[in-house]
Amino acid sequence: MNKDIKNLVADIKSRFELVGEDYPKDDQAALDFNSRDIHSVLAYVKSQGFRQLSILSCVDWIKDNQFQLVYIVFNWETGIRLQVRTRIDRSNPKFTTVTSIYPGAKYYERDVHEFFGVEFEGNPDSYKQLFLENWDDMPPLRKDFDSKAYSDRKYPVREYAADFSKAGDKK
Amino acid sequence: MDNTVEKQENIRKGWDGISRFFRANSIWMLMYCTGCCAIELPQAMTSRYDMERLGMGPMATPRQADVLLITGYLSLKTLRRIIYAYEQMSTPKYLVAFGPCTLNGGIYYDSHAVINRLDQYLPIDVYIAGCMPKPEAVMNGFNDLIGMIKRKEANGWKKYEQNKDWYRKNQIQALGELRIKDEFHE
Ligand code: SF4
Repeated sequence: MNKDIKNLVADIKSRFELVGEDYPKDDQAALDFNSRDIHSVLAYVKSQGFRQLSILSCVDWIKDNQFQLVYIVFNWETGIRLQVRTRIDRSNPKFTTVTSIYPGAKYYERDVHEFFGVEFEGNPDSYKQLFLENWDDMPPLRKDFDSKAYSDRKYPVREYAADFSKAGDKK
Repeated sequence: MDNTVEKQENIRKGWDGISRFFRANSIWMLMYCTGCCAIELPQAMTSRYDMERLGMGPMATPRQADVLLITGYLSLKTLRRIIYAYEQMSTPKYLVAFGPCTLNGGIYYDSHAVINRLDQYLPIDVYIAGCMPKPEAVMNGFNDLIGMIKRKEANGWKKYEQNKDWYRKNQIQALGELRIKDEFHE
């Protein structure tokens, strides 16, 4: 963990309630917060030089019945990558948009809505389709979605009549 | 009387042969580089294998192209656009499919987003084997296509026109709706 990250984490700790922390790499920190704090945390780190929201990701913790939202922000001056994480309820996944802080989140929220079904209140665009067109099933990146069954149902598979094994050769 | 019909038939056949000769030796291709197979096309096109010696060259728009190359897997989103491109091309048109992804889904056989068999939706004249196909295989495939055009065997486009209902049914079954509806087409 480098010096910049140490200072940053100490600073954040003094201001917000931290529920968990993790340091995947030398220049990376992953911090967990309560979901009510996320907007103030993001606004604060943005004012501290984290100008870029690199991506908004989502993890499906199906056993805990939770979705984890991961906001990855980047600081171009120090090169630090910060993951701001929170967990929300999986059965009624709703969160408030962060487009007022990072306008680019508009598309990431659309993406997460499409693949995980999380609703972002305050972002009317998040309901539009982005990658999947005319999708007709549950959001496909949820862990309980069976991709193979969907593929088999929807796209015909090729049947092979010939037997290419050795036994088939002899006949 | 009989004589003139025969004569006309001979003339038609002659012209047909001439036009096939020219078609086979001047092929403009439209590349829709959907998958990773596309990475072998630069080698096939540039000085090492130089497909221009077969009379093949790249073309920018579907309406001016003769052959459509589908280089690998197709998601539903790209399939919809490929159908647009294919139907815009003027006849005679040919379709070359690269790799097992177009044959049976390849490594994406269980994907929710990628189709399994391209021949359900569009008629394919030549398959090129390999994941991804080596440039030798690509050149061989193009040679096969040229031979097929000369021998009048590359009839995918006729098949498509004759069985349009069947193809349409499959397309709709996979896509729901053929029309593109995104931000750029609203
Ligand atoms: S056939 Fe192989 S190389 Fe070609 S698109 Fe599919 S996975 Fe990629």
